[in-house]
Amino acid sequence: MASLSVRRALKRSGSQILTRQRRTSSRAYSSENVEDTDVVIVGGGPAGLALASALTSHKIVCDSLKVTLVEAGDLSKVQDWSLEPNVFSNRVSSITNSSRAFLEGIGVWDYVDEARTTPIQQMQVWDGVSDARITFDASDIPLGSSNVPECSHMAQMTENLNLQRALLRRLSTIQGLKLLQRVKVDLIQRENRESGTGWPLVHLSDGSVLRTRLLVGADGFNSPVRSYAGISSYGWSYDTQAIVATLNHFERSPFQAPNNTAYQRFLPTGPIAFLPLSPTVSSLVWSTKPPLAAILSKSEPGVLECMINAVFRLPEISVRYLHQRILDSGSGMSKEQIQEEIAWRERSDSIPSHSAYASASKSASEGGIPPSDAEAIPSLVTSIQAGTVASFPLRFNHADSYIGEGAGSRTVLIGDAAHTVHPLAGQGLNLGLGDVEALTRCIIRALGQGADIGSYTALIPYARERYFENHKVMAAVDKLHKLYSSTAAPVVWARSVGVEVLNELDSVKAALMMNAGAYGHTGGNNGSGWNVLARGVEVLAGTASAGKMLGAGLSGVIGQGLQTLLKSGGQR
Amino acid sequence: MFSTALRQSTRLQRSLQSRRNLQTASTVNAAEIAHFSRLSSLWWDEHGEFAFLHRMNPVRMQFVRDKLLEIARDEGDENTARLGAGRDALSGLDVLDVGCGGGLLSESLARLGARTLGIDASESNIGIASLHASADPQLSSQPGSPSSSGSLQYRNTSAEELLKDKKRYDVVCSMEVIEHVDNPPAFLSACAELVKPGGHLFLSTIARTPLSYLLTIVAAEYVLRKVAVGTHTYSKFVNPSELVSFFREYHSPSPLPSPGADSTRPSRPWITRTYDNGLPTRTEAEIRGLIYVPWKGDWVLMPRSSTAWGAAECNYMFWVRKPAE
Repeated sequence: MASLSVRRALKRSGSQILTRQRRTSSRAYSSENVEDTDVVIVGGGPAGLALASALTSHKIVCDSLKVTLVEAGDLSKVQDWSLEPNVFSNRVSSITNSSRAFLEGIGVWDYVDEARTTPIQQMQVWDGVSDARITFDASDIPLGSSNVPECSHMAQMTENLNLQRALLRRLSTIQGLKLLQRVKVDLIQRENRESGTGWPLVHLSDGSVLRTRLLVGADGFNSPVRSYAGISSYGWSYDTQAIVATLNHFERSPFQAPNNTAYQRFLPTGPIAFLPLSPTVSSLVWSTKPPLAAILSKSEPGVLECMINAVFRLPEISVRYLHQRILDSGSGMSKEQIQEEIAWRERSDSIPSHSAYASASKSASEGGIPPSDAEAIPSLVTSIQAGTVASFPLRFNHADSYIGEGAGSRTVLIGDAAHTVHPLAGQGLNLGLGDVEALTRCIIRALGQGADIGSYTALIPYARERYFENHKVMAAVDKLHKLYSSTAAPVVWARSVGVEVLNELDSVKAALMMNAGAYGHTGGNNGSGWNVLARGVEVLAGTASAGKMLGAGLSGVIGQGLQTLLKSGGQR
Repeated sequence: MFSTALRQSTRLQRSLQSRRNLQTASTVNAAEIAHFSRLSSLWWDEHGEFAFLHRMNPVRMQFVRDKLLEIARDEGDENTARLGAGRDALSGLDVLDVGCGGGLLSESLARLGARTLGIDASESNIGIASLHASADPQLSSQPGSPSSSGSLQYRNTSAEELLKDKKRYDVVCSMEVIEHVDNPPAFLSACAELVKPGGHLFLSTIARTPLSYLLTIVAAEYVLRKVAVGTHTYSKFVNPSELVSFFREYHSPSPLPSPGADSTRPSRPWITRTYDNGLPTRTEAEIRGLIYVPWKGDWVLMPRSSTAWGAAECNYMFWVRKPAE
């Protein structure tokens, strides 16, 4: 076909070919209004908005590219979003220092309402079965390895809406972007060209058609851009549902550290996390079995609060008992019933009523000197903010490629369209921002070399920088989830030895924290910390399965595993 | 072998200068043109036959851009300081791409703002290049487009034919071409003559070494089958030292001697001096190795190294500047 067209084309001179081709293409779509553009970003979520902000923060982009963002929803609601100071949305993210440095660099952080964010100084993570605990502290970050000057915290809890609003406010100051909201993408087609080099045509619900050099899929898990590009993905649903809610709780007493510790307890049913938002408000992310999540998220007021307090405090066997009672009750229990059950479990677990681990009697409200172990668990939850309880299924999904080829060429995926990750490490949003940073860098470099930014060659550096990086993080998080889902004794023993030993080794911990992006970075080579974690988790997971089969030869395997982990920590 | 050809060519050169109005011998090799015409439809398949060239293109552009910037800075050229970041780095320059093929380099040059002309001896290459550029609104210059954007034209002609036009160019590029022509010295002379005084000539080609034979012919064509068999002919490869010695002796033909003018005054050669190791000075010419790193899947421009020929054992870039007179 191509050679035929060439032969025909040869009958004319070069310049005539140009005009003839243009006429053909405009005739084919003359019924519609086709507009040439350079970048179309589909999706106005955090990743799409961040990409629009990052691109338009560069003069070279504003001078040479037409950028359009298409969003089906009403973004003006997000831009005008506002809540009372102590009322918080239920979707929150921990912005790592590297993500924050990036947002500052593109001029977005100035628009984030910092009063609504809370720095995280410490992270306490413990094994629900063995109670082995690991504590990450911002002061463990070695000095000098951070290029964020005042790096006194590990991450910053921020409502997603706060970030999205900041992105929109930043974008409203920029001329170079065309932002289309309340406009759906009806259809994506490949332009029909003889030479087989057709560009994507994006048909919009307002009747217009965008012919674009590069089509960016920031359109989430069910990405239409990904289907257009013909990129398949692999993944699975976890048999897990996440419950989110905004929690009101007691203020920490003056004798305690302020509310800036994130708590996470790994239970066989999934992790439960307590993420600070203000001195008296925190956010809940509780991953658990779907039937339980269904009953709990619809239960009468007070029940969920009691369960949250109990699940952070009671031994695993009692938690399991409570879960079973709730499941048996079918439609849920009343607040009195559940309180009675919890009080009974506390008595049988011989938890004294003045202990921090007691939740049935709210002793903490009395003030005074708190129990010695009060730092080990979050404050007692008193109530849940109205309308903030929600639940959603968890899944793992990774696109086979980030760049479209052949018939789906001139496409690229970022954020959830490229990867969906279990939220237990709070990495989803940060991975998306990492994508945006890398893609922007890649496009700027390509522009400077006069490249066609829609071409596969121009986009390879982006995929090369991000694909394996994301995969490592996702695999590590997935393995953590599976590792902690087990109650088999050798596995529990192996992982608690791992966690306990880790907690004593500051250098290894520092390496692990890097993976959570605690260190601000601007370069591309930020994966070394995750590397260590990924390898560590790999070893632990390997140990876990070996433990199931062998049991006896276990200690040797673990010894080896830890050695590997330490060595890799030492090499850093 | 090539050096003898070069010596012959300098003789040829002198004879050309004396017999100015004679037709230049064509350097176009009919078999090579047939070979590339057969492959022309594959030019823009980024995973196919020309994948290596697609990958090489950003590095070539980087070299061109950086070298122009370096020279502009040396000369304190304020206007060209913008070369640093902007997308109009080449705006205002007349740039010629000799042997443009499918237009990989020409398109990039035009996007950086150059008034670009791509020429190729193969009709079908020019057809493919024009067809491809027509899809890109940035390249089909429309009225009302920003003035900084360049323009792109293609012509099915040879360097020798183009000499008949009066137009000369600020920058002449000929990437991966010289190893495919007959009579390379004549081809070099034609390219050199197309450069304005003070202008730049950029070449990229392959050195004639055992390593290049192994990589570009044995590995790429026969073992990995990444490149069509017969694309390269070992004996046609050109060593960097041969280019340097060519330009040490090459004098731009002086303008038509008007009666009475001192036509005996020789213009200076393009390269006047070299270091002990044979390398030219930075302001006159430069040789940089280009290495394909398989595990990165990418080409890397070697630094100006301390080793004599800058790792230019296989692919390399060559830049030389025409004396301003």
